[in-house]
Amino acid sequence: MNGHAKETDLALYASGDVSLWQRAAIHLHVRQCERCREVVAEFRADRGALRDASAGLPEGVDWARLSAEMTANIRVGLEAGECVAPRRLRKAIPASIPERWRPVALASAVAAMLTVMLVGAWWLNVPAQDTQALNRAMHSIWHGRSAMSDERVAVIEASSEGIELRKNGGSLGVSQDAARLMTVSVSTQGSASAHYVDQDTGQVTITSVYAQ
Amino acid sequence: MRNNIVILGLAAVSALAQTPGRKIDFPVDSPVTAVSSDWSETRATPRGGAYVLDVHAVLSLRNSSQKRIRGVMLAVQAQEVTPGGKGSVSVPSLDVAPGEAFPLRIDVPLLCPLGAGGPMVEVKLDGVLFDDLTFYGSDRLNSRRRMTVWELEARRDRKYFKTLLETAGNDGLQKEILSSIARQADRPSTGVQMVRGRSTNTDPEREVQFAFLHMPDSPVDPTSGTARIAGNEARAPHINVQNRSERAVKHLELGWIVKDQQGREFLAASIPSDVSLAPGKSSLVTQDTALRFSERTQVDSMTGFVSSAEYADGSYWIPTRGELNDPKLRGVVAPSPEEQRLLQIYRKKGLSGLIEELKKF
Repeated sequence: MNGHAKETDLALYASGDVSLWQRAAIHLHVRQCERCREVVAEFRADRGALRDASAGLPEGVDWARLSAEMTANIRVGLEAGECVAPRRLRKAIPASIPERWRPVALASAVAAMLTVMLVGAWWLNVPAQDTQALNRAMHSIWHGRSAMSDERVAVIEASSEGIELRKNGGSLGVSQDAARLMTVSVSTQGSASAHYVDQDTGQVTITSVYAQ
Repeated sequence: MRNNIVILGLAAVSALAQTPGRKIDFPVDSPVTAVSSDWSETRATPRGGAYVLDVHAVLSLRNSSQKRIRGVMLAVQAQEVTPGGKGSVSVPSLDVAPGEAFPLRIDVPLLCPLGAGGPMVEVKLDGVLFDDLTFYGSDRLNSRRRMTVWELEARRDRKYFKTLLETAGNDGLQKEILSSIARQADRPSTGVQMVRGRSTNTDPEREVQFAFLHMPDSPVDPTSGTARIAGNEARAPHINVQNRSERAVKHLELGWIVKDQQGREFLAASIPSDVSLAPGKSSLVTQDTALRFSERTQVDSMTGFVSSAEYADGSYWIPTRGELNDPKLRGVVAPSPEEQRLLQIYRKKGLSGLIEELKKF
């Protein structure tokens, strides 16, 4: 390997996602190249920090409050984004704002834009079930109901899509792609069941979730 | 640069998702043994303070007993004390001879807390039902009762179709099968949410009386009952039942049918209840439960019926096909697991395949 290894190869090597021979080749190179060794160490540190950050969310997250703050941030960010859009830059800072306050206004707008980007990135990467929980919270807020009043107790849902157990903003849904969903049922003692039929053999599999 | 970010993101995600540990924990004297297992599609992903375990596995189990197996239920859990951490997978309508192997597919999502020694999926045997209706297992998920009812329904339905074949011939059987398929397609369904405990609906409530379907052969008869209705929500059912048989009843299950203001009827839930009903005695069945339907489903009226009962001596009562042919029940009650299996065999192999299957029993 001449020169330095590619940054993407080093990132994949750091996370153990390269093929065996690539790993051996990069390993040999990294042993001899101090700069690449440092890059690998940085990637590993980043990965550890990412894992710590993802594990660090408190259990009792107030999703209702979080969703309200997110909604507000998104609105502020969108408005700020309009302000800092390049073609409208001149209009975004009205002439009525004194010259000495313009840098402050611009900095505020940039900060809001960064907030939008961060929130957007988080939103895109959050698991779909969490997104649905937040959507339900915002829907409840929109309709003037207590945001997560139901979510603090276990909610079991059965529909033509399958069965789902929700609690504390978390959600567990059951589906079997390889089989045909025939029926779903709910028991008032706190469980739901879905009947799936294998399309080739006809074997029936019944999956249940239990609210404890 | 953008590609690098995407690759780095994918690398980070794949680094966070990991293959959880797994444990198949069957008792030493278990009548089924695990021959092989494929967990390659199972993943654990950290989310907040927990791991989400997407359990997708295929087990191959062997009947190591001396009897034919009719049903198996496995408990699948991440950690028993974790809310949402428990599921089960059951396979009814089996006919597995001693020494034979059969597949069992597990598709269950689970939660387990971080820091509990890594994500771990545990599969335990909850119960096995044999062809003589004897049972083996811990029965922590009431598998004995559920599988026995499924097996009794299977015998009833096979007998019904075999009798139909004998009396009405191939055409009569085919007509009934097509009618069942059509009913299944037409059976109304609506999303229902069940919340145990208090209701959160702020609409004004009213108390609505249950109507009841009385089955001639049922050992238990519902006599009166009410539930609280508010818009699309029904809660706190209270139903008086009387044992009209000569044997004590220790468990019964009621079906709860709801009719909305558009006239659509559907089976909303089942109400299982442990009771102590001596012959001739009455009891009150209550559940602190709320059912919520889709917003356009405004509850108009309700109907209840007894769907199964267990006597104190361990024997069972289930409705006959004739009782299930009640026009109100025909449209809302789902076919038994065995009928679902036979319908699928008809879809796949046609009438001859179905007749061949019926002749096996």
